[in-house]
Amino acid sequence: MSRAPSQWFAGLDKNFINKAADDNAGRPGALLAILQAVQNRNPQKYLPREAIAAVAERTGVPLSQVYGVATFYALFNLHPQGRNTICVCRGTACHTRGSKDLLDKLRLHLGLVGGEDDEDEAIATTTPDGAITLRTVACFGQCALAPVVEVNHAIFGHMNERTLERELATLERPAASRREPTP
Amino acid sequence: MSQKISVRIDGQLCTAEAGQTIYQVAQAAGRHIPALCHMEGLSSAGSCRLCLVQVEGLGRLLPACTTPARDGMAVTTQSETLAHNRRMALELLFSERNHICAVCVSNGHCELQALACELGVTSVRFPYNYPRLPVDASHPRFVLDHNRCVLCTRCVRVCDEIEGAHVWDIAGRGIASMLVCELDRPWGEAESCTGCGKCVQVCPTGALVEKGRAVEEMTKRRGPVLHLAERKEARP
Repeated sequence: MSRAPSQWFAGLDKNFINKAADDNAGRPGALLAILQAVQNRNPQKYLPREAIAAVAERTGVPLSQVYGVATFYALFNLHPQGRNTICVCRGTACHTRGSKDLLDKLRLHLGLVGGEDDEDEAIATTTPDGAITLRTVACFGQCALAPVVEVNHAIFGHMNERTLERELATLERPAASRREPTP
Repeated sequence: MSQKISVRIDGQLCTAEAGQTIYQVAQAAGRHIPALCHMEGLSSAGSCRLCLVQVEGLGRLLPACTTPARDGMAVTTQSETLAHNRRMALELLFSERNHICAVCVSNGHCELQALACELGVTSVRFPYNYPRLPVDASHPRFVLDHNRCVLCTRCVRVCDEIEGAHVWDIAGRGIASMLVCELDRPWGEAESCTGCGKCVQVCPTGALVEKGRAVEEMTKRRGPVLHLAERKEARP
């Protein structure tokens, strides 16, 4: 988790957390909905420490429990996310069609090899310039299209190195500022 | 007035109250079921999988500590299959982290070690994982050694249910699961910790220990925690 204080959180209207907590009060799984609302509000799509502490304080849920929930679900990020997201499927079908090689190539291409988070199957790693976050997922449910790679929430099937490089080029060329509008 | 039910444990007919778990019924009948995460006075987690038992008519094994006994149930607590499964569960626990008994402060007073002896685990068939894990010695009186943690969550439950502080919880998932203090803070900086040491006393291994103990010196005192749990239970 990044230890640097989050500027975004410092500027956040704290009533937002109050409102998210009130909207979900009494509902089972309220904590998930609140954390999700807070994360979606952050342009960098992550939960800074201060935000987790604020949610714990507002809801009365113990700090360690909120942290446990935030780290259990792959949906929640504790680090700033890149402007683009590439998600490589590591399910069985995609694995047999070479998704491991694709992932290795991508990590090499993005310069994510040998870094601090250099783990083969890390859930998410972001390039130092914050342009691209690389994720893995167990299965998209699109096994007939294996190997599958998701680029900014669009699914691409039957990927190979060449088609992947083409997709990467479209991301990188227009000054990497292309950002998906938040839904 | 709770309803009475009859359960057959290893062929022996037992009378129990509705709502009791298989583990409680078996214990009342004097049948020993090995368990690591279960502890008297705390809620059940069902995380260690050592108390798995065979229920007649069911294809899969069920954890005795979390399964409520039902009227007419026939349970087997000891068999070759169960022993095999329990040994396997223990071996997986041993291979997951760095359990080196010879240099452990809890050597000779460790529940994991005692269970391995009881169930006859003489070797581990899986390759050891040897993870690189931290030791948190920031607390003035206690130490948390992740290398010896089996993630039984006894500390999490005792802190939440008996002490009421809920300092601990499990972060992450699967093989990456770790015991965390508050917001992944060093224990010594925890704001909610009262320093009562209940987590240390209930820890089955040498993961949570008192400072200043040498090898084999760490004996745990369960008495006060059991007593508090009883008094809490007795309160209206």
